[in-house]
Amino acid sequence: MKILNLKELPSTNEKAKALSRKKIAPWTVISAEKQTAGYGKEKVFWFSPQGGLYFSIVLPKSKIEDLQTLTILAAFIVAKTIKENFNLEPFIKLPNDVWINGKKVCGILTESVIGASTGSAPTLSRVERVGKEVKSSVIGIGLNTNIDKFPKELEKTATSLKIELGKEVDNEKILKEIIQGLKKQLATISD
Amino acid sequence: MKLKLKIKDKEYEVEILEEDADQTKIKVGEKEFSFGREEKEKIAVAQTILPKRNFSKKEIRAPVAGTVSKIFVKEGEFIKKNQKILILSAMKMENEIISENDSRVKEIEVKENQQVYADDILLILE
Repeated sequence: MKILNLKELPSTNEKAKALSRKKIAPWTVISAEKQTAGYGKEKVFWFSPQGGLYFSIVLPKSKIEDLQTLTILAAFIVAKTIKENFNLEPFIKLPNDVWINGKKVCGILTESVIGASTGSAPTLSRVERVGKEVKSSVIGIGLNTNIDKFPKELEKTATSLKIELGKEVDNEKILKEIIQGLKKQLATISD
Repeated sequence: MKLKLKIKDKEYEVEILEEDADQTKIKVGEKEFSFGREEKEKIAVAQTILPKRNFSKKEIRAPVAGTVSKIFVKEGEFIKKNQKILILSAMKMENEIISENDSRVKEIEVKENQQVYADDILLILE
């Protein structure tokens, strides 16, 4: 497993998407200590200061249905990691946010690129369907680990493991456990 | 007049022996063929139909059910290879549909924020 640890990035998903276009090895992980333009679904801002865990994984070529299942299972893997390591009671807010005590602690976003080709090979059928084959995909996870404080507008809706536990957690250990879990799940559902 | 015709990997030597208003006589390899007026018309029809058939028109269908969250192109627009066409959001998965060829957006069948089922037509490229 190759992990690229960077001090700062605009967004780990953006970086992973750019690398996946260059045919980087699957399961390469791009992690940043902080993001300056972290985002979730529909480019909604994701608060990403120093202390949190922000990473994206370049996924292997998979069927779109499998990626969809994996995205949903990612929340389960994060929740499981939190529960087993810290004895907290995480709640999975479907499709894939993880909450603790009614506040969001983790967000997950999978982004895929699908090619629409007009094709050049002559064929007798006048119309052709775009393939379901995904050109590249990345899964990004933002986990509020060692964040001391949230801005006022997020205070009521966001929390961190540090706030819940009253102590710091090991980002690297959590990162590795989540990646292993995702690898295992994708292997299972792709069979 | 001699012509060389390649079909798949095989080359044929075609020689036009005679050509007038009523008849065309050709020689392929060692065999001779004659075409009367009727056959000639058929050939002419076939020649005019083939180029008109649009081989590369493509319906781009939704690979999964979801919501069209963003459309980056307009009808009639010429788009380049790797250009973003639209984003289809499904659960928390965002699928960026990009063009794999230089092509033209013939028709857009959906609107932003519209929900679609898997296999629904999103747009037509040519």
